[in-house]
Amino acid sequence: MRYSFIKPRKKTLISPEFKLLFFFFTITIGMLFMSYSYLKVKTLMYETTIEERLAKGETLRTNIVSMHDEIAFIEVQKQHAEGVYTSNTVLKESIHNLFDLVPEKITLSQAILKENELELYGVTPSKEVYEFLLLAPLRSIFHRSYTSYYAMPNGWYSFVSKNYLDREISTQ
Amino acid sequence: MKLHISRQMIYILALAIVFLVIVFIFAFAFLIPSGKEYRVARMESKKISYQVDAVQAEYDNVYERLKGLQAENRHVVSAYKTIFNPDRFKKMHRSHFESFSLSELSGHSLDGEFAVYEVNTSSLIHSPQGFYDFLDAVNKSDNIIGVNFPIHFERDANLIKSSFTMHVYIARKKSGKEDEGEGSDK
Repeated sequence: MRYSFIKPRKKTLISPEFKLLFFFFTITIGMLFMSYSYLKVKTLMYETTIEERLAKGETLRTNIVSMHDEIAFIEVQKQHAEGVYTSNTVLKESIHNLFDLVPEKITLSQAILKENELELYGVTPSKEVYEFLLLAPLRSIFHRSYTSYYAMPNGWYSFVSKNYLDREISTQ
Repeated sequence: MKLHISRQMIYILALAIVFLVIVFIFAFAFLIPSGKEYRVARMESKKISYQVDAVQAEYDNVYERLKGLQAENRHVVSAYKTIFNPDRFKKMHRSHFESFSLSELSGHSLDGEFAVYEVNTSSLIHSPQGFYDFLDAVNKSDNIIGVNFPIHFERDANLIKSSFTMHVYIARKKSGKEDEGEGSDK
């Protein structure tokens, strides 16, 4: 015999409302936890990137400093080499000019070139030839010129010419 | 009107409040601070990246300049590192002289970044032109060599005997960056 028109509801320990509530909060907590994990992982990744970038920046800076040193050293080498090359070229021109200076009538037997001094040994047909053709140009180059003549048996003269450049003393 | 709330509903409401409290505690205690940390880390990362990019650009410029200078002055840079070889030098410049001899290389002095070695030279030449050619060739040789005073020329029959000193310059500073530069991280 039935006493009710509806079917009796099954009684459970956890009601459907509770299940719904539990499900909703589980989802909420899960989403929150996932967000938290995402933020933590991304923060950690950024921190790792920062460390790597900082280390790279430091390495780059060190390399830049040593490259600047290297550049400065190459510049010094370049300037020094140019100085040496120029000095050699000037020396060549000086010797060239010296030998061009000596007229055909005068024969040199020895020439000693020092930094501020030139010594010439040779023979000349006469003192006048030497004085007009060689001593005059030498005097225009050097500050002081001294010549000694030695008569030779054939009437020619052997000479020793010493010429000096006076260094200007700079006064400060 | 009487409000009827069942006992089960009271349990559910209480549980909902507990859950809400948990959610708020989690949000305020963990989620928001970690969000702030994330934002700060992201901004810091961007800032550092910008700075490092600027340093990288400077590095690239300096590297290009260094490589350009090295290429431009390859001969000079290698000449300062090359050890003077008297036999090779004689072989290279023998053609300018009738005979040519070099003394032993000896340490002379220090000139800033360079060590100066001295070598005495004596030679026989047909005409001064041989000496001029030698001076031109010295500027293109494997070493940085300066011909120095005093220079002594003396007639010897049909030849000219010449003697002079040469200074050979060797770089004192060890330039390790050049080799390192090739493999630098770019």
